[in-house]
Amino acid sequence: MPERKVIVEAEVGLHARPAATFVQTAAEAPVEITVARPGGEPVNAKSILSILALDVRHGEAIVIRADGDGAEQVLDRLAAIVSGP
Amino acid sequence: MTTVLAPVTGSVVGLAAVPDPVFAEGLVGPGTAIDPVRRPGRVLAPIAGVIRKLHPHAYVVVGAGGRGVLVHLGVDTVQLHGEGFRLLVAEGRPVRAGAPVVAWDPAMVEAGGRSPLCAVIALDAPPGAVRPLVAAGPVRAGTGLLSWDAGC
Repeated sequence: MPERKVIVEAEVGLHARPAATFVQTAAEAPVEITVARPGGEPVNAKSILSILALDVRHGEAIVIRADGDGAEQVLDRLAAIVSGP
Repeated sequence: MTTVLAPVTGSVVGLAAVPDPVFAEGLVGPGTAIDPVRRPGRVLAPIAGVIRKLHPHAYVVVGAGGRGVLVHLGVDTVQLHGEGFRLLVAEGRPVRAGAPVVAWDPAMVEAGGRSPLCAVIALDAPPGAVRPLVAAGPVRAGTGLLSWDAGC
């Protein structure tokens, strides 16, 4: 399954605006997308509750996985959000 | 249907009044905001459930059917690193609706140059699923603030 491992660069971590933008972008894609800490339990990338509960801090790595048509493109967009300041 | 209680006493001003576009534009989800009375107080659990995530300035309670409600105390208050906030429960603990979760002083937040507006968000709710029980004006902590329709 296509995946991206990225470091969260936003000072606030995957919270507030980065989290909202991430979930909104994921929700628009017609494929299943998950997020996990490396080796951790994957959660639904389209759920703001799941992402806030995952509580990823600045400097932490996450693995984003997607499967299906357009998976590579949506992974690129999500990776760009996470690795942006 | 889930009734979401007001976590603080104050005046309902709506999300659009929050001076943070992430909330004001509804990016985090539908909900409302309360301008809290400027006195030290305890912030309550908006629904019965489990404290899924607890920060000094924000917490999420997950209730029946996996519905999560976010309470966010003030704008940019993450920068305070917990100063002026006291946690009254532990993350992962069950709470009843209206139970105290955090103690804070909105006047102190405001004195530090930040808005003390308290945002209450129905996480992952479609926009039409959430109705205000108090659209604007006075609200007392622990009374009905939002109604979250069944099945959404």
